[in-house]
Amino acid sequence: MTSEFIDELERRIGSEAVVRDQGELLTYESDGLVSHRSRPGVAVLPQTVEQVQAVVRACHEADVPFVARGQGTGLSGGALPHPEGVLIVMTRMNRVVEIDIPNERVTVEPGVMNLEVTRQVAPHGYYYAPDPSSQVICSIGGNLAENSGGAHCLKYGFTVHHVLGAEAVLPDGTLVHVGGAAVDTPGLDLLGVLVGSEGTLAVVTKVTLRLLRRPESVRTLLAAFDSTDDAGNAVSDVISAGIIPAAIEMMDRTTIRAAEAAVQPGFPDAEAVLIVELDGHQAEVAAQFEQIEAISAKNQGWGVQVARDDAQRGRIWMGRKAAFAAMGRVSPSYYVQDGVIPRSRLPEVLRRIRKLEQDSGLTIGNVFHAGDGNLHPLVCYDDAVDGQAELAEQVASEILSYCLDVGGSLTGEHGIGADKACHMPKMFTDDDLATMQRVRVAFDPKGLCNPDKLFPTPRLCGEVPGPYRAHPAEAAGLAERV
Amino acid sequence: MHDAEGRRAGGAADAVDGVVPRWVAEPASQEGVARTLTQAAADGHSVLVQGGGTKLGWGPRLETIDVLLRTGRLNEVVAHRHGDLTATMQAGTTLAATNERLGQYRQWLALDPPDSTRATVGGILATNDAGPRRHRHGAPRDLIIGMTLVRADGVTAQSGGIVVKNVAGYDVARLLTGSFGSLGVIVDATFKLAPLADASRTVVVELSDAPLVAAYATDLLSRGSTPAAIELATDPLRVILKFESLESVTAGQAEEAMALATSHGGVGQLLDADAQDQFWTGHERRVFAEEGTLLKAVVMPADLASSLSWLDEAAASRGLSYVLTGQAALSVLHLRLMGPAEQQAALVSAWRERLTLGRGSVVVRRASAELKALTDVWGPLGDTFEVMREVKRRFDPRATLNPGRGPGGL
Repeated sequence: MTSEFIDELERRIGSEAVVRDQGELLTYESDGLVSHRSRPGVAVLPQTVEQVQAVVRACHEADVPFVARGQGTGLSGGALPHPEGVLIVMTRMNRVVEIDIPNERVTVEPGVMNLEVTRQVAPHGYYYAPDPSSQVICSIGGNLAENSGGAHCLKYGFTVHHVLGAEAVLPDGTLVHVGGAAVDTPGLDLLGVLVGSEGTLAVVTKVTLRLLRRPESVRTLLAAFDSTDDAGNAVSDVISAGIIPAAIEMMDRTTIRAAEAAVQPGFPDAEAVLIVELDGHQAEVAAQFEQIEAISAKNQGWGVQVARDDAQRGRIWMGRKAAFAAMGRVSPSYYVQDGVIPRSRLPEVLRRIRKLEQDSGLTIGNVFHAGDGNLHPLVCYDDAVDGQAELAEQVASEILSYCLDVGGSLTGEHGIGADKACHMPKMFTDDDLATMQRVRVAFDPKGLCNPDKLFPTPRLCGEVPGPYRAHPAEAAGLAERV
Repeated sequence: MHDAEGRRAGGAADAVDGVVPRWVAEPASQEGVARTLTQAAADGHSVLVQGGGTKLGWGPRLETIDVLLRTGRLNEVVAHRHGDLTATMQAGTTLAATNERLGQYRQWLALDPPDSTRATVGGILATNDAGPRRHRHGAPRDLIIGMTLVRADGVTAQSGGIVVKNVAGYDVARLLTGSFGSLGVIVDATFKLAPLADASRTVVVELSDAPLVAAYATDLLSRGSTPAAIELATDPLRVILKFESLESVTAGQAEEAMALATSHGGVGQLLDADAQDQFWTGHERRVFAEEGTLLKAVVMPADLASSLSWLDEAAASRGLSYVLTGQAALSVLHLRLMGPAEQQAALVSAWRERLTLGRGSVVVRRASAELKALTDVWGPLGDTFEVMREVKRRFDPRATLNPGRGPGGL
């Protein structure tokens, strides 16, 4: 990165929006995947779309790579800076542009926090459905880039189901409007591919979201099981009964104990707990809740807790959402994995993970979105013990291969980013990846927009993914992981 | 003479829109599709893809057809993973056959676009076509989780997978959904499914004007009612609700909807199980199975009432008549328009002028050659059209795949 280029950026958007101090730039050297670090050549903090365009145009003219970053809570290194590039930090673009209740829409800038959207519309009886566990501190721009999910996506889908339109700056600086505010916009579904493209196609500067009415009734149940098989069977029975709960979450003994140590949610000491939440029309919820209770009993569920009020529901969810951070109480370090399996294959995959636990000697905690088969195994290790970090990483990789063996996916919600780009050939053929590249070059022929992410490259894949360490925001208690 | 791909010279019986294809190919496998496209690319032939043929009249007028690729022999439900609520179908499988199979485990592919006995999974995806229960379940783009496609150059690729939650790689499957066959030939697709409901009830509510229709729908939903479909229909003007849930729940919700109809000055009618199936078939056929131009219009929900009132006036003043159905809460409208072509073209352009880009659209689906010559069937596609054109160029550089049939004539 030449100082002439940085001077040029200052001329175009003003020096107060440009960070060139090497010390200050360290703030941005990683996102939530702190094992990957790289100081950006320069960082910019635009406040307007014109500034974003000016920066991207400058990059385009000078062939300088650029990476957009939101709150930096991502867990796959999607916002890892390029050492010779510009980091476009979107946090100052955090205005709520329009709240349109009659149309059940809200338009926000990308730096607006996920939970803030719901806060803004809650007085009208609405909410924004996608709820990643980091929703207090993660921004909508990052949610769009990663197609974020959350505990409730079993019933309500992911970010892609709730974004109707986006204003975006293409990699040549052109401003475009993808999708719109209406439910359909004619043309190729560019929005469908932009959402989840991990910042590799454009820089999003405004987003129109669909709002949902608060359901009339919400009921939450927690049940304990003497084996993860029983809990898994209960999940299967719920699905077979034709019930789609808002959420079904499972925790195993390791993570239950960790959560209990950290936030005392009052979970039973069991091999597994299930948290099942139903929402919707009151009569429907009531009838289905009875079915859930019966299914739990049939599968030897015990210690059933039914949330009587919002406070108790909040406590149950706090226990679930604290599970990741809580692992810090039982292990000095841990590697968090994000894999997906067909939900019916849960028992066999868990058995393989348990065998791996015994063989490797490392403790593996399991928390998962059981309803949709999204696993988050937590591989515990001690940095102080020689070779354990490497072993943990091998174990985490091994678990991914179990997911792929049963037809699953490398990632359900954390993204490929820099972390898993080298794993992509395990899931996709060269032709699959080349087809995706055709989309990439249609948007970004120069390959300047968040390069070295998502796709395997020799430069990238010579490096080895590192172990998990707590993100500064997480360590400070500001964030939790899904 | 048939070759391995079921390729033979076209005859009069194969004509589409009066155009006889030079070749007809009916491959029976993914490899066969790939070979057909590789051959066509080598010969410099264009390829028109046909599923059930229910929407071949959509889009621009055909001039010539080099190769007509029919997906009819790709008609298997490849896998029904009922424990996972997912299924994979070959592209040529009809929606009705799909759902008959999935119904064995009381599940279904939750899409109800017109003509389910003929419309295929591939065709429904290519057009992102949906029906009344889009209100609850979404459109094809919301339900697809994986796809196998063959590109114009004969290369086969996959996108997504068989799990419902998956963010690995670009969502090429979603990009192909609604691309009208312009980017690749869909060979098979994997969807998330929905459980079949225990019980179902339909309530038909007649209301006297458009503002009442909009007010009734909004009021009902704000009271926590959860219909699977909330349809509009004209002539007479009415809202039609479909409730699908447990027996006691549908009964209760139907009653609430009836009571609310009365308080809005409307007349509600509850249909029993037999009557409702017949009713919904009729509802679909009124727009889709009769002669006339087919328009799809989308407006902002808060503009629904004013749009309906404007339409009434705009059609009458031009000597046009129409039948309309659509999803009230989503504000997706399907119109069958009848009358002089130049007046129809004038109505389409007047309607488009009322709409702000991104906040509404009018697309001409099926139309006479005369109307297609008078109007731009797609209307304005906005400032992303250059990117769409670039995507098309990257996927199909020689523009041989469904030429001109993609959005905006891609």
